[in-house]
This record gives sequence, C-alpha cells and structure tokens, in this order.
Amino acid sequence: MNRPTESYLKVHYELRPAKQVERRMLVDALQILSLSDFQIRDYQYTGMGSIYFIDFILFHRALGVSKMLSVEYSTNVAKRVEFNRPFKCVNLQIAPIGDVIPTLSGSLKHILWLDYDAPLSATHLQDVSLAGTYLTTGSILLVTVDAEPPTESDEPADWRNYFSEQAGEYFDAKLKNGDFAQSKLPARSVELIERALQGGMVGRTNIDFIPLFNFVYQDGHKMLTMGGMIGTQEDRDRIAKSALSRCTYYRDDLKLEPCVITVPRLTRKERQYLDQFMPCEDRWIPDDFELKHDDVLAYRDIYRYCPAYAELFF
Amino acid sequence: MTTSLANAFPRKHFFLEMFTRDISLEDCILDLIDNSIDGLVKTRNIDISTELLRNGANSPPKRGSLAKIEVRYSPQEFEITDFCGGIDRAHALNEVFNFGHGPGEVGGALGVYGIGLKRAIFKIGDFFQMESRTDKEGFSVELNVTEWSAKDQDIEDWKIPLKMVPGATAGKEAGTKIRITRLRSEVVMRLKDGVFETRLRSLISQTYGLFLQKYVEIALNGVPIEPFSIPIGTSKEVQPAHDEYKDGQNGEVLVRLFASLAARGPDREWRGETAGWYALCNGRIVVAADKTELTGWGSGALPQFHSSKFRGFLGVAFFQSSNPLALPWTTTKRGLNRESPVYQNARNRMRGVARPIITFLDGMYKPEAPEQQFGKEIADQVKATTLAAMASKPVSTFVVTMPARQPPSTTTSIQYEAERSDVERVRKHLKKPSLAAWRVGKHTFEHYLKTECPQ
Repeated sequence: MNRPTESYLKVHYELRPAKQVERRMLVDALQILSLSDFQIRDYQYTGMGSIYFIDFILFHRALGVSKMLSVEYSTNVAKRVEFNRPFKCVNLQIAPIGDVIPTLSGSLKHILWLDYDAPLSATHLQDVSLAGTYLTTGSILLVTVDAEPPTESDEPADWRNYFSEQAGEYFDAKLKNGDFAQSKLPARSVELIERALQGGMVGRTNIDFIPLFNFVYQDGHKMLTMGGMIGTQEDRDRIAKSALSRCTYYRDDLKLEPCVITVPRLTRKERQYLDQFMPCEDRWIPDDFELKHDDVLAYRDIYRYCPAYAELFF
Repeated sequence: MTTSLANAFPRKHFFLEMFTRDISLEDCILDLIDNSIDGLVKTRNIDISTELLRNGANSPPKRGSLAKIEVRYSPQEFEITDFCGGIDRAHALNEVFNFGHGPGEVGGALGVYGIGLKRAIFKIGDFFQMESRTDKEGFSVELNVTEWSAKDQDIEDWKIPLKMVPGATAGKEAGTKIRITRLRSEVVMRLKDGVFETRLRSLISQTYGLFLQKYVEIALNGVPIEPFSIPIGTSKEVQPAHDEYKDGQNGEVLVRLFASLAARGPDREWRGETAGWYALCNGRIVVAADKTELTGWGSGALPQFHSSKFRGFLGVAFFQSSNPLALPWTTTKRGLNRESPVYQNARNRMRGVARPIITFLDGMYKPEAPEQQFGKEIADQVKATTLAAMASKPVSTFVVTMPARQPPSTTTSIQYEAERSDVERVRKHLKKPSLAAWRVGKHTFEHYLKTECPQ
C-alpha cells in the first residue's frame, strides 16, 4: 500500500491561492445547496486536515459544520496534528483513510474529501470505491489528485502503463498511448475515479453519482478535484433547480471541460481597481494598465473567491 | 396472417442427461442432505434466523438427542437414511416430485429450487426406492428411471406412482430413506476412488458446520462426521469486525459480516488453506476460504490475496432469509450468484470490513512501521472463537489495541577490574571494611558524579 506523501512539509498550505479559490468555490456551492434544503450544517465533514486544517476552519466558519473528523496516516506527526487542531469539534483519527471510510456513521450525511497530493494510485481507487459503498445517500464526495505525469519518464506510453497497473480492472484497455498525452491526464484520472466510485456503488439501489465539480488548478503541480453527490433522482432534480446550475464552476457532466482555476498575478492596487468593474462585460479590459484579455476573464471567474495575502507583523 | 403454435415441452431426456452435468456427485449428495435438514427444521420448528448464531458450541446437546442422517454407499448402491421427521403424503403427492417450484411456493431453508432430489437420483443411478414416514402416515415409491423416461408423450407420463404405507411407530423413527441402485458407471468409478470418501467427509463437515452436533448427526459409511468450525479468532487486544444490515426487497435478507484475524493452528502458525472469506446462506457454507475476486480480492477496495501476507485474514458473510430464493446462492449451492444485488452490495461491504485487517497484516511485515512491532505478539494471542460469540457482540469495526509501549531503559551497567589493594584502601577510608566490591565501585562513581559533575 502506498504511503501518502507528506507534501505539507514541502509547501506552505496557506499560500496556495488557486487551491484556496477552489475551497471557496466549494463553500459557495455548499451554501447554495444549503438553500436548496440540503442540511449541510448537519453533515459530517471528513478530510485530511494535515497540520494546517484550512478546509476545516473554512467549513466550520462559513458553513457551520460542526461534526468534523480529520484523518492522518502518519504516526510521526500525531502530536503535531493534535497541537494544531483548530476547534474542539474537530476529531482526529490516526489511520489510513480507507480504514476509516467503512466506519463513517450510517445515520449521518457526509462530506468526504479525499485530498491526496500524489498521482492517482491503486490505493486511492480502493478508497474511492469504499466511499461509493459506504457514504450515505445525499453525501458529497470530493477527490483531489496530482494531475502531472505520474512517472519520471516523458513518454505517454509509460504513463499509460502506470495507470493500467494502478487501475487494474477499472482501466479501459481500448485507450491508446495518445489518450495519455499530458493534456489528457486529468480526464483519464477523473474517468478512473468515477469508475471506481460506480464499482463501489454496485448493489445499492435507487442512487447514482451526481457530478457537481471538476476543477483543474495549479499552484505548483497541476492538480484536479472532482466531486459530486451520491444521491437519488430527487436530489438530482433539486440540484438542477438550484442556483448551482448557473455557477461557472458547476459541472454536471464529468466529460465536459473542467473548470480551470487560474489566478492572474496582480498587485493589490490592481485588484482593487479591477474589482470596481467586476463582474465585467466579456470584452472589457482596463484602461489604466496593461492586462491581457485572458487574465481579465480568468480574474472575472475567481475574484469572488480569491484570497488576499498580506504580511502581518506580530 | 395465420398463427401456429410451436412445441415448447419439457423432455425427460433433458432432465436425465443434461441437467445432471452441471453438478458434481458430491454436490448432489449434499442436496439430499439439505432436504433431510429441511425436514428437521420443519418438524422441529427450528427458527434458523435466530437459532443458528445462538449458543454455538457453548451448550452442545447430548449426542443421543440429535436427529441422525446416515449416508452409505458401495459400488452397487447408494443410500441415505434420515430420522428427520419424514415427508407428509400431501406434500409428496403435490410437490416433492415436481421439477422446480411454482411461483409463490417457497422451498425449505436449504432446499430452494425443488430440483435437488430428482437431480441427485438421475445423476447417481437408474433405479430408486424411497420410503418416508411421518409420525402419522407414510408412502413409498419404486421407480425404474429408464422405463419411466422412455414414455414421454404426455404430461401424465411424468407422474410417479406412490404406495401408501403406515406412519412411523415412534416419533424418533420418522424419516426418509432413499436407496439408489444400478449406479451409473461414471458414478461407480468415482465412488471407488480412494479419495472420494475423504473429500465427501470434509465437504459435509464444512458445509454443515453450524448444524452438526447442534441439531443433527451425520454419519458417512457408519462413521460420524465432526463439524468444521471456521477458524476465526479474537483476543483481549483484537476486536473482530461485525457489520449487520438488511438488504433485498423489503429488507428480506439479513446480512451479517464478520472479519478478524484467523485463529492460529496448533503449531502457532496461520494456515493459508483455511484463510479467506466464507459465505453462508441460511447457515450452509456455500463458499469456503475464498481468496478470489468473487469475495472482492484484487478488485475494488482490496488488493490481491497474497498467500504469505494475508493468510491471517478470515472473514464470514452470513446471509439469512425466510425466502431462500432471495439469498445470493447458485443452484448448485457452491457459489454466489454474481447477478444478485444482495451479493454485489455485500461484496463491496466485505471489502470495507476487511480493509483494516489488511492494513494490520500489511504492517506486520514492514520493519519500518514501529507501531506494528507488536503485531506478531498480538497475532500469537489470537484464539478461536465462534460465530455465535461474535454475533452476540455489538456492530463494530476491526480494532487492535496496541499494548502500551515500555519506556526504553535509562540505565546501563559498568563493569571493570580493580586492584584488590585499591578497593581495600577505599573500604578503609570509608570505615566500612566489609563493603562489597560492587558497592565500592558504585560509591566512587557517585562521588565523582557529585563532586566533579554537579548539576
């Protein structure tokens, strides 16, 4: 079994703007679902909080979720994780996430975020399949994986081999090397995740996976997050009628192009200026400084969710 | 446009020659035993949904009080005699000799499809005699199968004549005897094979492990068969996984999953051949020690079964229903029906139940995982338990309580040679002429520590 990588030692989680945009978009979506009678506040959030717990802090503050479980695999940092626990309502469990999923309460609805930082592996797919089996109806599953080429090699044929080995029975043998071109890797991972999820749901009746999200973003490595609800036809109809269906980041079909989160590099002064014109018309560009039209559109997509960083002296 | 009706009749020849090909001789014999056990369940009103996982081996009844089933064979004949209550006449006249049940008719707890008796007879030989007596009434039948099958023009030709005979003189004598002669040559060949009896004995022992010595005693060629017990284990530190839920239409199937470490054999080793998943339908084992994709290995949420790494795994999937057709077994009762949603859902949940055990076993063989260094000690302590004992515990995941680690020792020992005269000088100086040499050493060390290395 692969051990999860310990990326929190390499990256300071609080300084990843694209990831933060994604988190805020997710919060936005969950707030919309709350307005459509999904009682998100009563859901249990289970994530891999690491030592930063950013998602926990956000979900507790912005959504009022107070049943929270952070799962950490490495026993090496058990004390550090405990030390950084942000709220009393965040429970901790040191175990592989796959051991925890079957124990998630059958009488609660869940938001489960399998927030991996490595390319999709067999263990990840096993976890996803368990989520399909155990998450209660109405629960939301999010899966994040690294979408960069999975091996050192720069040959798509090797990447294809990697996925074929990791995915086993989920792998579609009809796919050619060309289907594993770098730009197509996120789509391949999403397909495999969905297949593992469907595999885990086999035998459960009257429910289906209702896609909601398919993000691609890049703070360092290119990452993808896909997600949706394990729900009934009634849930699907309720979501379709909600304001979520009009959000730019919403994806009800995972075969559609993903929502690419791009955070243009802007100064604080530029952001304040741009914000006055947001949301802007399609063809608008600023008069007072040079900014590419693509950057303007990218900013328009994310300005509501974009964090502002500043140095604090304390 | 004219319409003509095409024939779509059953043919006796099909039931004799084709129908018998998909089942082994052993499984045919087990089908006959199933019928006997069903008779017992019916006459003694045993509620297997509550009884099978109750008490277990804790209160074994006296041997004399058990119903008996005797299986005997020779190259000339095959015979099964049971004292399980017998078949009543009305049931015999209307149901027992039909090929399959009609809609809405439910079989027994183990006999599901209404084909076992006929299939077994046709598979084994060409002539059979059957006599069955309840405590009130009885019937007997004698049939030359070849002659019966030669006449196949009309549905009336399918009927079988029964002779009415008196009931059993004592309740204990009530039962059914089936004797098959003119055995098929391929059957004789198998019966003569020296390993057949051993194989059949171990199959019966395994298949009816939960019934043997609790409700029934089965003897093969005069020798009683001991029950096999699934070697699932527990200990003070190891809490087995127990999951329970209802499935199928209107929740008519109760599914109970148990998984844990296997109990170790007398040599304190795990035995690879008994590791894996066991699936039981209404208490009858239909899959034993499975390590394949059928029970989730190597697909979805479980890795491939590694015989060296995972031979300590043991899982039991227990399916129960008063409607046996809702259970996920195949017609040969030696497998799980892949198309059954109950099976498919259970397979996924079996993977989930198994996962923490796989993590534990994985860790046992990883030197770099210090938290697992007690894994081997824990495994050594695991002792066999019964399904009944596990079923009586609340639903839980698999948990291993690691013993608290001893803090590493903070001391070391110092040993050195010293001149006797020097030791004597210290003793004199201390005015303690009989002080032991080691105390002299300790005293001088403490003195140095105090005067030269004050804290």
